Amino acid sequence: MKSTILGILCSLSVLVCSAQDQFTVSGYIKDAANGEALIGATVYIKEIQGGTVTNVYGYYAVTLPPGEYNIEYRYIGFTNVNQTITVDQNVRLDLELKADNQQLEEVVVTAEAIDENVRSIEMSVAELDIKSIEKLPAFAGEVDIIKSIQLLPGVSTVGEGASGFNVRGGSVGQNLVLLDEAPVYQSSHLFGFFSVFNPDAVKDVKLYKGGIPARYGGRLSSILDIRMKEGNSKEYDVTGGVGTVFSRLAIEGPIKKDKSSFIIAGRRSYADILARPFTDIFEDGAGLYFYDLTAKTNFNINDKNRIYLSGYFGRDVFKFDERQGFDWGNQTASFRWNHLFSEKLFSNTTLFYSNYDYGFSFGENDMDKFDWNSRIITYDFKPEFTWFINNSNELTFGGEALLYRFKPANAVGVSDGVSTDISLDERKAIETALYVGNDQKLSEKLSLQYGLRLSTFSYIGGTVYNYGEATPGDDRPLISTEEKKDWETIKTYMNLEPRFSFRYSLNTTSSIKGSYNRMNQYIHLISNTTAATPIDVWQPSTNNIRPQQGNQVALGYFKNLRGNKYEFSAEGYYKWNSDQVDYVDGADLLINEFLEAELLSGDGRAYGLELYAKKNAGRFTGWLSYTLGWAELRVDGINFGDDNVNREGKWYPTRFDQRHNLKVAAFYDINEKLQLSGNFSYIAGTPTTFPTDRLTVQDYVIPYISGSERNNFRIPDYHRLDLSLTINDIWMGKKGRGGEDYLVISIYNLYGRQNPFSIYFSQGTDRPIVGDPIATSATQLSILGSVLPAVSYNFKF
Amino acid sequence: MKKLLYIASIAIFFSCETTIFPELNEAEEILVIDAWLNNNLETQEIKITRSQPYFDSTLPAKVSGATVVVEDMNTGETYNFVEGEDSYTWTPGTTPLGVIDNIYRLTVTVDGETFEAYSDLGAVPPIDSIKFSWNEEDAFITQDYYTAEFVSTDLIGEGNTYWIKSYKNGVFLSKPDEINIAYDAGFSAGGAVDGQVFIQPIQDGANPFDEDPENDGEFLPPYVIGDSVYVEIHSINLFAFNFLQEVAIQTNRPGGFSELFATPLANVSTNFSSTTENSPTNIGGFFNIASISSRGGRLSQELADMAREAEQ
Repeated sequence: MKSTILGILCSLSVLVCSAQDQFTVSGYIKDAANGEALIGATVYIKEIQGGTVTNVYGYYAVTLPPGEYNIEYRYIGFTNVNQTITVDQNVRLDLELKADNQQLEEVVVTAEAIDENVRSIEMSVAELDIKSIEKLPAFAGEVDIIKSIQLLPGVSTVGEGASGFNVRGGSVGQNLVLLDEAPVYQSSHLFGFFSVFNPDAVKDVKLYKGGIPARYGGRLSSILDIRMKEGNSKEYDVTGGVGTVFSRLAIEGPIKKDKSSFIIAGRRSYADILARPFTDIFEDGAGLYFYDLTAKTNFNINDKNRIYLSGYFGRDVFKFDERQGFDWGNQTASFRWNHLFSEKLFSNTTLFYSNYDYGFSFGENDMDKFDWNSRIITYDFKPEFTWFINNSNELTFGGEALLYRFKPANAVGVSDGVSTDISLDERKAIETALYVGNDQKLSEKLSLQYGLRLSTFSYIGGTVYNYGEATPGDDRPLISTEEKKDWETIKTYMNLEPRFSFRYSLNTTSSIKGSYNRMNQYIHLISNTTAATPIDVWQPSTNNIRPQQGNQVALGYFKNLRGNKYEFSAEGYYKWNSDQVDYVDGADLLINEFLEAELLSGDGRAYGLELYAKKNAGRFTGWLSYTLGWAELRVDGINFGDDNVNREGKWYPTRFDQRHNLKVAAFYDINEKLQLSGNFSYIAGTPTTFPTDRLTVQDYVIPYISGSERNNFRIPDYHRLDLSLTINDIWMGKKGRGGEDYLVISIYNLYGRQNPFSIYFSQGTDRPIVGDPIATSATQLSILGSVLPAVSYNFKF
Repeated sequence: MKKLLYIASIAIFFSCETTIFPELNEAEEILVIDAWLNNNLETQEIKITRSQPYFDSTLPAKVSGATVVVEDMNTGETYNFVEGEDSYTWTPGTTPLGVIDNIYRLTVTVDGETFEAYSDLGAVPPIDSIKFSWNEEDAFITQDYYTAEFVSTDLIGEGNTYWIKSYKNGVFLSKPDEINIAYDAGFSAGGAVDGQVFIQPIQDGANPFDEDPENDGEFLPPYVIGDSVYVEIHSINLFAFNFLQEVAIQTNRPGGFSELFATPLANVSTNFSSTTENSPTNIGGFFNIASISSRGGRLSQELADMAREAEQ
């Protein structure tokens, strides 16, 4: 393994040697209006007909032989800047680009350079800029990042109210959601109705579905990389909004002009405040609300060093009186330091802390109560380096060391004054990674991106449980336990993850791209509910649970038409995964010391085709996305048919196996004042399990499925149309007042379809009379079964 | 939990439910043996039926002609159950069926195939008292109300499992969400509550929370003055504990917003197996033999006043 990495480094050193007598042009590119770094701005050198793009911090570097060059800096929606420079030494050129007024009237649905679709090596990437996210019709009129990315190919959800999202047939727990590098374990407010990211504080959203670069790892399905705004370094800005569910306010401004800035943004729901006059339900301390606070600051120390400090704090609270209730929330804090070792060697070092916890409290007084909370804490140290070797090679390398602390249950019950601690032991694990990757342009036509990631995971300290064998589907018997010292290693896993992508340009307007990636996931989200929920449990890999491994190949065709006015792409993917975690029927996932005995593992596979067409410019813009997909699991002990002896599992479709998934998003500028937008979703019915029989035992009517089949039927199709109208310049935006404002009127589920979330079978909720026959029925549930209009007023000054 | 979900539903009052009649796959009509015996001096009953198509809401018919025998594996004594109108029964003379700590085997032979299941007979702790508490009105019960709880301490030794059955005014609290089981004094193994007083949610299981049919979203007071409560603790074997837990998961479907937290449909376990090796016959049901402790109480005016004073 070491020799492989050495080999790559050696071959690179050859490339480096050939790059003597050259100079570097480098710098940061920012938005002239607010000093925000521009991510993915193009730096194009006419003489070499090539160039580079800025990284997530707005930094670029190009290496050139001595001479005179015309450099064009461009970014969508901004006026190009042309610079003629003489390169006879290293040149530092920081630039600010001005927003292009002519383009302001148009809705621009892309954040990237307009021919990136074809030219970039990236595939299987879904990117949305905050401007288009803000224009989409939103549930309850609340702009939502997670909901917006579900309009892109390969991204879906199992239904309204479900937390998180599914990518290419993967489960919710197989997505890594990063907010300024720190993982956010629960991306939802109010179960799944809203996401926790405040759009006022978000700058850039990028979802990797495949072709994942070596710098990312730790989850099987996707990486959602969310970057926060740095804050306006030129002047003070106040943005905010009054919506149906949330009120938002964000303040940003310079601490020291052009050197340092801050942003602080908060949201709070106010259904409870609005309801207070009409109900006494919120007396006695009862409450129902959620809030989040996002803050960030940065200091530009000098040309070579800048630091960023960002944090997030959010919480959902459901209390039915002062003492009893349920709450959950994330906290993250990240510190980042950008350092330039030289013009060619850019580094970023991140330190972060992330905490997710939820808790329940029951009991009316201190003599009789039950308090329980569960949390996962992560600490991380992540140095990353980018070496702009020459114009054909950009090397990234770095590492990561994570410490996980799992506290599955901190629970104390008090009965009649007798206190009982039923907490589970803390579990710890260390995950590390080393990676190296290279972006290499072999020719104008062919670009490669390849890399390796070496990941390790050590489960450490505490009680070790050794389980024996059992018929698949039954609890495994506990054979022995042993106590390890606090930091003693119990089990270590090590995996090598190769990554590879290529882009081959067929001509200037079309290209073919392909990728392969292997991912390992060492921590598992254990969920036994139809949809993911905030109380799902994170479980480390242990001596009993192996890490999940996933492989994916993808091949795509990318085409731009009519001078990049239209984009088109088609991608096929195939994924094969091992050690997918499932659970035995009836498993108890909460406060269960012996949870590992109830977990099963199996294989997964997912494949599909994604089609995407987009119109970038003009008064009418938008996109159409279609995914044809399959997602299946095979786990011994589940769906085993007549094989009562070995219970060998047969393939079955997962809950998020959506054969057809069609999304349309459209924007139309009626005039400068009015914009109309709409989106339509069609999702073919998702699988569910229907019983065949009913058994009567002790007067309970229990459903029975012949052949132990799982997901043997499908619920009816889902479709929905939303519309919204944006009216600009309501009051503040009118002449002389300064600032801008707009009103968004939206209608969710325009034709009021009762889209099914699930179908369930039950004997009803009435108390049966012992000995009398009991009726059973099937019920189809729609979480949102009506037209939902909403209005929000948004301002900035 | 129910209250919590109701709170959540305030925010989401848009959900709606429709009864549907989907076509299901053909029913397998498997043999179901419902055998929950106890060592009280009373007639013991075993029901043998077949499963029905899911939407068939009639009482399941008895399977006739079965041979039903319980054997004490420690003493070798056998108890032959005789076929009656609806079930198979055995009536004790002066000695009940079952000695604590002995192991019992039930064998049922139907159509030439024999099925068997084992259960040990565990001990139960006594119920020390029944307590009533007074509660101020809240958002869900819009009058001051009384709740009942039983007080009992788990037997020492890890792994005791119990089924607590409660009755209000002689009516068994038979809703799926009223299934109240305990592993030692807590909810599950590994809870480290061996030998303790049962945790509060289990003691509170004696309370019915029925929705007020006249006021949507409100609940009736669990107990009013004059009501009686009667609680039984049944000892169950570990497999029966798991079985009841699965039954609770599969049958407690209040619908609405709680469906977000619902578990996918799956078959519950059984402790019956065929004595024929690799038999393809599927079977359902359960065999458990229990000892029972019990205690009752009535909420008199006097007890109600005392409860109110204690709280105020």
